[in-house]
Amino acid sequence: MTIEQTTPTAPTRERPSAPVQTPGRVGEHTERADGVPKVRGEFEYSSDLWMDGMLWGATLRSPHPRANVWSIDTSEAEEMPGVRAVLTHEDVPGRKVYGMEVPDQPVLAWETVRYQGEAVALVAADHPETARRALEKISVEYEVLDPLTDPEEAMKEDAPRLHLSGNVLKRIDIVHGDVAAAEAEADVVVSGEYEVGMQDQAFLGPESGLAVPDGQGGVDLYISTQWLHLDRDQVAESLGLEPDRVRLTLSGVGGAFGGREDLSMQIHACMLALETGRPVKMVYNREESFYGHVHRHPCKLRYEHGATRDGELLYVKARLVFDGGAYASSSIAVCTNAATFACGPYEVPNARIESHMLYTNNPPCGAMRGFGAVQVCFAHEAQMDRLAKELGMDPLELRLKNALKPGDTFPFGQEVPHPAPVREILERVREMPLPEEEELVGRDLRRLPGGVSNVTHGEGVRRGIGYAVGYKNIGFSAGFDDYSTARVTLAVEDGEPHVRVHTAAAEVGQGLITVEAQIARTELGVERVAVLQADTRVGSAGSTSASRQTYVTGAAVKQACEQVRERVFERVREGYGEGDLAIVDGDVVSDGETVVSLAELLGAEEIEETVEFHHRETEPLDEKGQGDAHLQFAFAAHRAVVEVDTELGLVRVVEIATAQDVGKAMNPQALEGQIEGGIAQGLGLALLEEIQIKEGKIQNASFTDYLIPTILDMPSVRAEILELADPEAPYGLKGVGEPPTIASTPAIVAALRDATGRDLTRVPVKPEQIVGIAEKPPDEPPQPGSRGYSGIGRLDEREEH
Amino acid sequence: MPAYERAELTAELKVVPSSGAENPPREQVEAAKRAASDTGLAREAGPEVTALTGGRREVLEASLRVMEAALDAGARAVEVRVEAEGEAERFGAG
Repeated sequence: MTIEQTTPTAPTRERPSAPVQTPGRVGEHTERADGVPKVRGEFEYSSDLWMDGMLWGATLRSPHPRANVWSIDTSEAEEMPGVRAVLTHEDVPGRKVYGMEVPDQPVLAWETVRYQGEAVALVAADHPETARRALEKISVEYEVLDPLTDPEEAMKEDAPRLHLSGNVLKRIDIVHGDVAAAEAEADVVVSGEYEVGMQDQAFLGPESGLAVPDGQGGVDLYISTQWLHLDRDQVAESLGLEPDRVRLTLSGVGGAFGGREDLSMQIHACMLALETGRPVKMVYNREESFYGHVHRHPCKLRYEHGATRDGELLYVKARLVFDGGAYASSSIAVCTNAATFACGPYEVPNARIESHMLYTNNPPCGAMRGFGAVQVCFAHEAQMDRLAKELGMDPLELRLKNALKPGDTFPFGQEVPHPAPVREILERVREMPLPEEEELVGRDLRRLPGGVSNVTHGEGVRRGIGYAVGYKNIGFSAGFDDYSTARVTLAVEDGEPHVRVHTAAAEVGQGLITVEAQIARTELGVERVAVLQADTRVGSAGSTSASRQTYVTGAAVKQACEQVRERVFERVREGYGEGDLAIVDGDVVSDGETVVSLAELLGAEEIEETVEFHHRETEPLDEKGQGDAHLQFAFAAHRAVVEVDTELGLVRVVEIATAQDVGKAMNPQALEGQIEGGIAQGLGLALLEEIQIKEGKIQNASFTDYLIPTILDMPSVRAEILELADPEAPYGLKGVGEPPTIASTPAIVAALRDATGRDLTRVPVKPEQIVGIAEKPPDEPPQPGSRGYSGIGRLDEREEH
Repeated sequence: MPAYERAELTAELKVVPSSGAENPPREQVEAAKRAASDTGLAREAGPEVTALTGGRREVLEASLRVMEAALDAGARAVEVRVEAEGEAERFGAG
């Protein structure tokens, strides 16, 4: 209910300005326009948004991972001075659920909560502390139930059904060739079970935004997100408004990595703003952020590989079980991706893959950089090493022998397109020189495992080297109509031609606005380019995910520029005659001679074109998991060199070498950033990053306890870039954001295995695993005479007692 | 990536319980939800609202079963909203 309405006139917020850039052309090093302001602390992130008279929103969340909600009493909170609104599910004016793939997540819980942190009620108050205290005054009567936290348990017939549709959110089967026949022919079979923990995107800017009512029943939302239009449509539906009554503008995004694809506070802030008639700002703190977005799916993977004696792969069998958590998010697409990439970038003539996605009472999981390819890459690369060991082959030779090449068939039935340089990138990383082995004794502590903790001075340190290769789709798949919209305007200001580029594509730190400017500079031959703030005044650009924006929005910008250029040429032909026309440095030239300047040609007129670019159609998988499901594939190989303190299980990653095919290096500086950043996230998954869950509850919701790599953990990166043009893509480019993350994790773990001789089947690898301490005590206590009993034994029977 | 719009048909069924029926209102809603759950097409969409998503024929037939279950349990009414998706053909039912 609303407590008070105090602002009679509609508040307004000035539109963000679009700085004019002077970018390089496509392929040239170009400094990003937002780089310096970010380093200086002058960049406005969404958490910095401010309006006079704004209120502060806050969210009451369930402390229980599974419970029935019997009652919600907000009366005491409503009576607090400074509180302007307290809302529950009864106040959701439109659709009470939302979700990208399946609208199964309540805007505010009504009868049931399915994970710890689920939103139950909202408060708007004059001050954030008042809002926080008001949350404490809301009384919720819960009937706490046992959480269902194991996806294998969730599959069972007698498991409690967490959703009306049951607990199986999705199952994908890939049936390729004749596995049974191949099994009979295999000389060597290796199998393994692997596990990937729940990684967090760990973006530094928490969820935040500002909702401003327009005074006429609509609302403007300034927000950090990955897909403005999908947010808008979901917000509008839950507000019961037509989409054009809800306008979104992108605010400064402090990282995303998939974690901002789902809604967090978008609907909540808008509800509070419309209810109070005042701007409402919401900012999650770090702990709340861990409950406020989805995470990377934890997964258990069981694999079997069969091969001939000389190392030719004959078949792969895999069973993948993903924990989707409480709500669907993008889990269906993750399940599909994992199934299709489960065999790795190898020619596998026969495969049988089961990919299962389950609902549980764990935190919801969804998109994160690598999106299903990360989990399976860890397992298939471990399997390749295991197979090489069994065959007595060099692991790299085994990979080279089975490397996919154009014209082969993926296990999901699609033909491998050109380019698919799996062999080339593996050979590149093999040929790169190894880092010199530095004398251990007397070395600077910072270059030893454990660093300045001063735990080893070189004793017990072993070096290891590991390789991995992975791949992933670029763009949306499986039949989704994937497109982007760009509006390009050519005008003259102060006697100088300049270009305005307007899209709804979210710049999340990857450098897209720089690439958009480079494309405009290249296609229109004009130095000055302004990329307008992304918003919903222009058509959808799709999501900043799946490494797709430079491809899809880049193509839209390119085509819009081409249409603008053609209109310029039409004018020139009309006024100045035919010729081989081009635009160079603001002049229209013909055969190297200036015909007319753009300033003179256009005068006060503007030329504007809007283009919607759709990439070629893909197909959904059929019941056997077959179909031309993906648009484009990007490949990257990694070599990791590590040093391991084998006594304490501490690791120093000495160097990562990588080779990646990017089609076209649009902005080499930004590409370098993507490669190094992606490797940092891969290193985090290999060694550090895991959300610890116990009985459905997060144990480490802070950056004190959830560890991400720092500059001290990052090794030097040696990268070789292949530019093998994709004939279908603009400039021949390939998406580059995700591949660095995919194979860097298994390469590091392979190097750890090389150094320690241990299996290491789970990531992140803990020191205990490296030194060989069991993950948990044995189910049965050691008995007298059993191995190790005299050294360990039961506590009451130990020798010291 | 969003995919829910791929379903050919979505039916939202809101149970309006009767306070004078033999079963209490909550049980009337629960009866409808059980019937919806059995269809394999259902998800919750609000305190009294169930959504059925899938192919045209299966959703329509399932809707009938849910309505019958609600009415049999004593519900006063079931409000139904059925929505078709034009692009669904490319993806097959459901």
